[in-house]
Amino acid sequence: MVNLTIDDKQVTAPKNATIYDAAKLNGIKIPILCHDKKLKPFGACRMCLVEVEQMKGRQIPACTTPVTDGMIIRTSTPDIVKARKMVLELLLLNHPIDCPVCDKGGDCDLQNLTYEYQVNANRFTDEKFHHEIDYNNPLIERDMNRCVLCGKCARICDEIVSFGALTFISRGIETKIGCEFEDALNCEFCGSCVSVCPVGSLLARPFKFKSRFWALTNKKSVCSYCGTGCNLTLGVKDDKVLTTIYDENQGFHKGQLCCRGRFGYQFINSDKRLTTPLVRKNNVLTEASWDEALDLVASHLKGAGASAGALATPRLTNEELVLFKKLMETAGSANHDHSAGYAHAALTEGFARSFGTTASPATILDIQKSDLLLVIKTDTYETHPVVGFEINMAVKNKGVKLNILSDKSGKLSKLPDATTLIHTPGSEIAVLNAIAKVILDEKLADGSAASIPGYAELEKALAGFTPDAVAGQSGLKATDIKQLASDYAKAAKALILFPAGNAYPGHNADLASAAANLAILTNKLGKEGCGILCMAEKNNSQGAVDMGFYATNGLNASQIIDGCANGSIKTLFIAGENPVVSYPDQARIKGALDKADFLVVSDLFLTETAAMADVVLPACSFAEKEGTFTSVDRRVQHIKPAIRKIGQSRSDFDIFGALIAKLGGQAPVAPSAVFDEIAAATQGYAGMSYAALGEEGVFAPVAVKPVLVAPKAGAVTPEPGKLALVTGSVLYHNGTLSQFGEGPMYVCPEGYIELSRSDAARLKIENDDLLNITSAIGSVKLKARVSPRMPEGVLFTPYHFGAAEINQVWTGAPITWVTLAK
Amino acid sequence: MSEAVAQQIEEQEPEVDLSLADKVIDKYIDLPGNLMPVLQGVQEEYGYVPRKVADYVAERLNVYPSQIYGVLTFYAQFHLKPRGRFIIRVCVGTACHVSGAPRIVETFFDKLHIGHAETTPDLRYTFEKVACLGACGMAPLAMVNDDTFGKMTVQKVDEIIAEYNQRPMK
Repeated sequence: MVNLTIDDKQVTAPKNATIYDAAKLNGIKIPILCHDKKLKPFGACRMCLVEVEQMKGRQIPACTTPVTDGMIIRTSTPDIVKARKMVLELLLLNHPIDCPVCDKGGDCDLQNLTYEYQVNANRFTDEKFHHEIDYNNPLIERDMNRCVLCGKCARICDEIVSFGALTFISRGIETKIGCEFEDALNCEFCGSCVSVCPVGSLLARPFKFKSRFWALTNKKSVCSYCGTGCNLTLGVKDDKVLTTIYDENQGFHKGQLCCRGRFGYQFINSDKRLTTPLVRKNNVLTEASWDEALDLVASHLKGAGASAGALATPRLTNEELVLFKKLMETAGSANHDHSAGYAHAALTEGFARSFGTTASPATILDIQKSDLLLVIKTDTYETHPVVGFEINMAVKNKGVKLNILSDKSGKLSKLPDATTLIHTPGSEIAVLNAIAKVILDEKLADGSAASIPGYAELEKALAGFTPDAVAGQSGLKATDIKQLASDYAKAAKALILFPAGNAYPGHNADLASAAANLAILTNKLGKEGCGILCMAEKNNSQGAVDMGFYATNGLNASQIIDGCANGSIKTLFIAGENPVVSYPDQARIKGALDKADFLVVSDLFLTETAAMADVVLPACSFAEKEGTFTSVDRRVQHIKPAIRKIGQSRSDFDIFGALIAKLGGQAPVAPSAVFDEIAAATQGYAGMSYAALGEEGVFAPVAVKPVLVAPKAGAVTPEPGKLALVTGSVLYHNGTLSQFGEGPMYVCPEGYIELSRSDAARLKIENDDLLNITSAIGSVKLKARVSPRMPEGVLFTPYHFGAAEINQVWTGAPITWVTLAK
Repeated sequence: MSEAVAQQIEEQEPEVDLSLADKVIDKYIDLPGNLMPVLQGVQEEYGYVPRKVADYVAERLNVYPSQIYGVLTFYAQFHLKPRGRFIIRVCVGTACHVSGAPRIVETFFDKLHIGHAETTPDLRYTFEKVACLGACGMAPLAMVNDDTFGKMTVQKVDEIIAEYNQRPMK
């Protein structure tokens, strides 16, 4: 710490602080336009000029000058105020000053500073800018006439997002911010640039002319897409969520969001929302009262026993999942599951075996504290983009080494010095085993490893996984495998990350154990910057596992589906899941749901699955209910209603509660009471309560009892003449919910199939060609996307889209062998 | 992969031979801070920096295309449009100005049907006014590539054009 004087006040500040940081830390406000606490100091705007006595009273920028001991600083002398006024005059010289129609009005740093410094006239005259406004995309409007060239947009796009869409173009008076060759903005549309823009140059188009900033009420919430658990501030007016508001102090991610988090909120107030219960009469879904619908559901559940099944989306709150389980218990059934029954296996089977717990022994905060990251599949960026930002920052700012093991390259592989090993699809477990084998053979294991249960069995099981043997199978070089093993083992801190979800059936229990073995063998567990993070797909996937909402004594999702088909399951209650689109093998799912005697679906929308139901119950979104979500790193966070419930919709909590009461059970009154039960009964949740969770949530600790498990690595047999289709998530979507978010649908409106340039050349396929993809179970038509990231012989397709149902060809195997035809 | 990339881009813009860019990139690929020498090198090869080449450099050096464009537009030395085989520079500095440089400039405009910083459609000439060529004793002064023409007159403009019209394009 250093001692210094700011405006005659004795203060202290950390040694590496700038004058700006030191002042802010001590409650002294210095005006600034080009600063964001997440970004490196830049010194562009000259608003933060201060006087330092030791520097002969010169005016120096506070944001780029480090503090020194004994510094005497004045932040607002008459000379400084004069200088700042002139800076504002110069900034306003070419600015259009069109505040009355600017959406930034009321939230604009330039406007506020002009007001604060009373710049009511300008001594200079010059022409206004005449830059063309970029209206080419539906999400971000770029009006360079209003720009003050603070560079925050270009810097955040580089330093955090690592996309680099924007840059300074030309020089001198002609300088502007733009894309290469003056192109229209065509990026991943995370809106980070919009969030940091101090003026109205970058605006969220979906929010344009919706409301003045000061008319909005800010409601804190948690994003309901992926499992990262980002905090959101919703801008609410008249019971409508109109936008998301940037708050640089919110959450571990400091307000940073991805495309779906920032622009995907429209599903909340979508006019496609269900507003009344529907009951099938004469084979048509007809509006009905809640009493009628619930009575009908209760009559089928009452005494149903094992003939009832439940499938829930892991987007429900912890409280709702517990209550859903209770409802099924009241009906006498133990058949409940989520995420197609396999997407959680890495946790519920893999980590359960290897760690004796069903949660990841690491947090997202470990990413930037590590020395080496081993990322399994570049899709990690697409499935959890804000985790991707953390990886970007770790690699670019902290010099963390990035090793990627993937079946295709991706955005992460472009990071500086990232090593990407591209293996043949389906060989990832074998490669992980080979790494474990090298660690054992080259004595890289920690001294404690030999005493861990399962060591001898693992050593035996790995005998066949020599780097040379696996190299042949995986298409990697044996030396690369050895290098990776040695890098991982020798790093003081190393963290393994992999995504899990419906679209990643290969990321199963064996993969989780294979990865766990590496961490256990090298003792990279339970320490800062170490461990494994299994990143499940949905916002409460980890919660669903923690609440035990998967098959333990009853049937799993797949068996429930089979049960419908063979008649043993008569009543199926689906809460929020959309198996017709998101579960593999659509024909099988549809056939089974058709055969179910009685199908109840509670959902926000009339999904493909809900359309098949006998009773449809209108549920409400995360913005309308109270409860808790548990993120992939087990941060338990509390959400409160931001708006009133839409139409007659009810929370699933209320629906399950009402049904329990109708079945004669004791329904809890409020989610808080259920959460108290959860806190008492769930490992790691002890002592938690809504009050204790606060705004940022609380981590549920993970206790690990390591066991070495020999993972099975099935050999992949390529089918001659066919291509390997792998499924996954695309950056803009999460599950099937994002199809109702306008933002994501603008950017990525439909499914597609990505193929390598060499396959495209061989098959004479060009971008946007409509291809017939045929597998053993069916065929589907998708548009082609020729991409440099795909290796030869491998195809990739996202699975989210109801209009391009990839599950017509996808069997749920990690790899589907297909043929392509134009 | 780079071969496949090269092949694909070549199909779209056949006149750009990316092997020239490869030659330059291969030379500097391992040098830290290689963007400037690579861009200068490719400009040397193509006479300007075609978009396809800029994109290709971005892909091979793993630099954002936007960043490359930022560098290309920052420095006056880079050109984004094809340049003439012969660059005619006429000095309009003080000494040349008072010795009649404006008339020399206008004559070139009239004869070549192009203006300042423009290129003839046949890519033979690019014309530029420059502030000072540093040889005021020879005012008014013109240069064609590296050849110098002092004490310029309107008649000499015709002679210069006639002479360079004879020169081969390569």
